[in-house]
Amino acid sequence: MTSEKEKMIYVHSAPVRVWHWINAFGFVLLILTGLQIRYAEMLNLMPLSDAISLHNYVGFAVIFDYLLWLVYYVGSGKVRIYIPDLRQVVTLAVKQVKYYGYGFFVGKPNPHAMTPDNKFNALQQQAYLMIMFVLLPAQMISGVFLWKIKGYSEYINLLGGIKVIDTIHVVLFFFFTTFILIHCYLATLGHTPLAHFKAMFTGYEEHH
Amino acid sequence: MKKILRWGLSIVCICWLWPAAGFANENSEWFECHSDEGLTKESTDNILKTEITEFLYVDEEKFNHSVHNINGITCVDCHSDIEELNYDEEVPHEQYLKAVCCASCHEEAGDDFKNSVHMKMRNKGITMTCYACHGYHYVQHMESASVAERENSICLKCHNPYQFHDWLPSRDSHFAYVECVVCHAPDVPRHINLKLYDLVTDSFYKSDKLFKVLGMEPEQFMGTIDANKDGLIDAAEFDNLVLLLKQKNIHAVFRAELVADINSIAHHVNRGTAEKTCQNCHSAESPYFNAVSLIFSKDDGTVERYNVARPVLESYHVSHFYLLAGTRMKLMDKIGIFLLAGGACAVFIHFTARVLTIPLRKKKDQDEA
Ligand code: HEC
Ligand code: HEC
Ligand code: HEC
Ligand code: HEC
Ligand code: HEC
Ligand code: HEC
Ligand code: HEM
Repeated sequence: MTSEKEKMIYVHSAPVRVWHWINAFGFVLLILTGLQIRYAEMLNLMPLSDAISLHNYVGFAVIFDYLLWLVYYVGSGKVRIYIPDLRQVVTLAVKQVKYYGYGFFVGKPNPHAMTPDNKFNALQQQAYLMIMFVLLPAQMISGVFLWKIKGYSEYINLLGGIKVIDTIHVVLFFFFTTFILIHCYLATLGHTPLAHFKAMFTGYEEHH
Repeated sequence: MKKILRWGLSIVCICWLWPAAGFANENSEWFECHSDEGLTKESTDNILKTEITEFLYVDEEKFNHSVHNINGITCVDCHSDIEELNYDEEVPHEQYLKAVCCASCHEEAGDDFKNSVHMKMRNKGITMTCYACHGYHYVQHMESASVAERENSICLKCHNPYQFHDWLPSRDSHFAYVECVVCHAPDVPRHINLKLYDLVTDSFYKSDKLFKVLGMEPEQFMGTIDANKDGLIDAAEFDNLVLLLKQKNIHAVFRAELVADINSIAHHVNRGTAEKTCQNCHSAESPYFNAVSLIFSKDDGTVERYNVARPVLESYHVSHFYLLAGTRMKLMDKIGIFLLAGGACAVFIHFTARVLTIPLRKKKDQDEA
């Protein structure tokens, strides 16, 4: 029993787990309501006005959640785990791609060993850095603009009009929907299909 | 009664000594008296039943620009109970005139107005006149007026729309882009007005200025722009128009608004009949956006109007108008489907390979064990 315990390492601290699941749940709702808003004449999940108000409430919950994440990571300095090491990033990324494309199938071990200080592999680092500091903020800001078009009309006009804002919001929406699909699949590539999911609940990842 | 008129004024009027029988059908004659800003009479307010001072001044300049004067309507066409001016009297005509009947000329509007809450409240003893909404001496053509101008000059004089419409999100957007009667008289024909907004001067391009810059007459416009001569500016022709404007150094964007046609059906405002179904507007098939026209205002409130194909609303040229679900860009949807399909394919291929290679990994595990 003790040997089992030793193999477990604590990778996701409680704030991160809470943040993650609020965010995940929020995204699913945002995607569903967003689809209903955009394809009002094809979908009948809920009335348009409900979809809009739900989307707005959840949107703000996700923004608030993002701020929690930001404060936690930047405040604790842990944000470092998101910054790739420029000297190694290319070689590591190539290794990781090879693993997902070949090594995984033949049962080779993952070249990246997860530790609390080095949680993400090189691919994850780049993707998450981009998402958390560019794409998600862009999604949230464009969403807030769409929420009060008249109120923010000055900024909106400066950026080229409501249609530009909406294009950003929609393109990112498609990106995030695709991202979540792939994200969920990749999460099954742990040493057992459910290992990574369990870890996001308990905080402990089995070490190999 | 005669004391009522201010002294100085009456003297001026009397001293004029016009031929007694001269009947005024030239508007200028009326301004001998009515251009005085101090001209007043006392009367009783018919609601409050108190004495009030009524101003009898008519702004000649503004009256001359009114649609009625431009169409040759004179004072007595409306104040038709004045049959002659008798300058022997201190006041050359009856002091208390009959109410003006607008519907005597505007028959259709008169009929349509009968089907309106504002007429039906006569049953409650409240009479609403035509001019409570339209005004009377300074009526302008409404065709070129923006949504805000139409609302400010009519409905917002009496109603505060923020007291109602709690169910409507983005109320300020709706009130800014949808004229009240488009929802409240849902059978009125309506269309999208596209106007050219000059980013340099922060104002809408007027017809005369624009055509001077373009170096053509308004009649030549369609001939130049509408290449396939179907009377409709389609998306490709619109691209060319934008190019032409750029070549002429016009830095402008197109702004769009949903307005009612200038049609007397707009009077059909009734309780409980307003458009409430979001999807009727917020959908790609919405009938509200079938008619689109490009308009350039003229000084008299009329417009040069050119028909535009609906897909132009989806283009980036109309960058300041985006109707949720209604004018969404089909290109975006294609990009989205492409992204999603790509992601799904990648997952599917990886997953298949993963299933097929299970024996490989099993074997390796056994070898290690
Ligand atoms: C389109 C019809 C129309 C025309 C044209 C018109 N009037 Fe009037 N006028 C009205 C109406 C309606 C009223 C308001 C009566 C009321 O309040 O009961 C009015 C009221 C007035 C009043 C009372 C003061 C006021 O402003 O309410 C004066 C004075 C007057 N008109 C003078 C003139 C003169 C002078 C002319 C020509 C230069 C003229 N009107 C042309 C419709 C017209
Ligand atoms: C509750 C306000 C209101 C009242 C009262 C009202 N109107 Fe109108 N009227 C409108 C609106 C709104 C329009 C449509 C213009 C627009 O789209 O902005 C209009 C349009 C018109 C037009 C132009 C359309 C056409 O038929 O050519 C005329 C003329 C007109 N009204 C006359 C009248 C007359 C006459 C009366 C009295 C019988 C009257 N109105 C009473 C609000 C009103
Ligand atoms: C003697 C006939 C006559 C009377 C009375 C009259 N009008 Fe008019 N009105 C006209 C004419 C003519 C026009 C111009 C129509 C046109 O250009 O299509 C006009 C135009 C209008 C328009 C402009 C519609 C548009 O094109 O936007 C409105 C609004 C209007 N009148 C309201 C009134 C009101 C309110 C009254 C009563 C106070 C009134 N009229 C009385 C003859 C009259
Ligand atoms: C001159 C003042 C005035 C103007 C202008 C006016 N209204 Fe009204 N409106 C009223 C009054 C008064 C009532 C009747 C309230 C009642 O019967 O209890 C009313 C009733 C209504 C109602 C029925 C709901 C209710 O509260 O009873 C609607 C809807 C409405 N107006 C819409 C409009 C629209 C749209 C316009 C512009 C085209 C407009 N009104 C212009 C005074 C006005
Ligand atoms: C998107 C459509 C829409 C627009 C735009 C709109 N309304 Fe309404 N409004 C409604 C509906 C729906 C109701 C609910 C009552 C009904 O069904 O008639 C309502 C209710 C009202 C009422 C109260 C009616 C009642 O029965 O209690 C008034 C007054 C009113 N609106 C005035 C306005 C005015 C003034 C404007 C323009 C500034 C405006 N509305 C714009 C759809 C609209
Ligand atoms: C009469 C047509 C009409 C109806 C009915 C209508 N809308 Fe709108 N709506 C518009 C127009 C036009 C705009 C402004 C578009 C713009 O801002 O460029 C708009 C804007 C909006 C916006 C702001 C976001 C955006 O993209 O502009 C939201 C949110 C919205 N509507 C939701 C609703 C909901 C929910 C309902 C039903 C309760 C509804 N609308 C009913 C025409 C309508
Ligand atoms: C994070 C904060 C967010 C806020 C505040 C927000 C807000 C909004 C608002 C107000 C609209 C209405 C659009 C409009 O008014 O034109 C909208 C539309 C939409 N949102 Fe969001 N949103 C957020 C995040 C997201 C996310 C994360 C997604 C999906 C991944 C998403 C997907 C959509 C979609 C698909 C639409 C419909 C757009 C269209 O048809 O043009 N949103 N959003």
